[in-house]
Amino acid sequence: MPAAVSFKGVSKRFTLHHERPRTLQELAIGLLGGDKGRTEELWALKDVDFEVEQGETLGIIGPNGAGKSTILKLVAGIMRPTSGEIVVTGKVSPLLELGAGFHHDLTGRENIYLNAALLGVRERETKAKFQEIVEFAELERFIDVPLKHYSSGMYVRLGFAVAVNVDPGILLIDEVLAVGDEAFQRKCLAKTEEFQREGRTMIFVSHSLAAVKKLCNRALWLDKGCMRSIGAAEKVVDEYLEAVKGEAG
Amino acid sequence: MIDRLSELLQYRDLIRQLVIRDLKVRYKNSLFGFLWTLLNPLFMTLVFTIVFTIMLPQSAVPKFPVFLLCALLPWNFFAASVMTSTSSIVGNGHLIRKVYFPREVLPLSTVLSNLVNFLLALSVLFLAMLLLRVPFTPWALLLPLIAAVQFLFALGWAFFLSAAAVFYRDVPMIMDVLMLAWFFLTPIFYPMSVLPQAQTLLGVTLNIQRLAYILNPMASLVASYRVVLYYGAPPAWDFFLRTIVTALAFLVLGYLFFARYSWAFAEEV
Repeated sequence: MPAAVSFKGVSKRFTLHHERPRTLQELAIGLLGGDKGRTEELWALKDVDFEVEQGETLGIIGPNGAGKSTILKLVAGIMRPTSGEIVVTGKVSPLLELGAGFHHDLTGRENIYLNAALLGVRERETKAKFQEIVEFAELERFIDVPLKHYSSGMYVRLGFAVAVNVDPGILLIDEVLAVGDEAFQRKCLAKTEEFQREGRTMIFVSHSLAAVKKLCNRALWLDKGCMRSIGAAEKVVDEYLEAVKGEAG
Repeated sequence: MIDRLSELLQYRDLIRQLVIRDLKVRYKNSLFGFLWTLLNPLFMTLVFTIVFTIMLPQSAVPKFPVFLLCALLPWNFFAASVMTSTSSIVGNGHLIRKVYFPREVLPLSTVLSNLVNFLLALSVLFLAMLLLRVPFTPWALLLPLIAAVQFLFALGWAFFLSAAAVFYRDVPMIMDVLMLAWFFLTPIFYPMSVLPQAQTLLGVTLNIQRLAYILNPMASLVASYRVVLYYGAPPAWDFFLRTIVTALAFLVLGYLFFARYSWAFAEEV
């Protein structure tokens, strides 16, 4: 069976425009005055190689700016790599952030349909799963209230409920379990474990090392876009902790 | 290319949802809600009718409200599509950065929701035709075809402008000025026949009427609406066929431009 996700020598470069010609006026000035050299290149990922097997859960850890979210964006197809090859087998959940795409003026009900459609789900499937989603989010009483009146906890619950009920083959999760109250976190954890039993593939970005140890088979440690280590989750997390301690001490 | 189009087809429910979202959000917080779709052209018609039949009676056209609405409503459809499309990618940056979906969905749903608005607003025109006793002829059945051609033309612009606005933020400002000029250059509140057939500019004699007609696809579209509804006659086929070709050319070019640059949206928006 082919790997669910495979990265071969993947690099991603961003061009930071300090004085980007955002308007035609600035462009004209730049051309006339030869105003060049205001851009800086930033390599978000450098030569990253890894594979995620079918049914495996890979955790990605590392400090801020290490390139963790960039990997998820590349897997989801939101961005293209500057060089290298990415092969994804199966349908990817295209959502990186819970509730991305929610509209504040629409009700919970309307947002469920909109968000599911954004994830590429057909409307009749959403209709069939509607009750399940509402129950999972525990929002029965508020489902016809505009989202702007939701608390941030309710917002996230709705986002997670939609995301996990749309049946993605490969689930990408960016810092989900850090939100919601204790009870909802446990529920999310249970749902994630259920996915693992069903043999789904997951890529999981988190700062919660405990969650990575508990949930993931393997972990990838990134630092400034470079791979520092990949292997069994326990081992990589311990290495990472060791290094962080070393720097601090 | 075929892949992209079939993927777009898979996301047709998203297109529908976005159109519904546009329409709902547009009216949700306003007092008159959907009525604005009708009140706006009614008010515009009132103003133009006062100006052109009371203040400037020498240029009066019989049954002026119908004459005007035949052109004003299609123009509003086009202008609104163009202006809202400039923000259809930029204004949805949070989606572009966080969710994968075919980017074409955004300009497409923008133009579609403006099309829905246009179709609803047509009821004002039909009402005016009934009140002023302008008869419906079988040529009025061509209305869907003309609207379809205009839709494709607007969509081509929407693809081009929505992508261009990501890289140059002054696209909306440029279009503001351009659309104002275009409005006056298109025979909306005046008949094509008032334009001179021979006008000498810098020593060159020009047929302004013919030039305005040939160079401006909106003039041909507006004239087609007007001829099938107000005059109850067949459209000028040669011009209409040319407009179809122009609309398709704009659509293809606009789409190719969009497809060429859409992969960079997530980084630039």
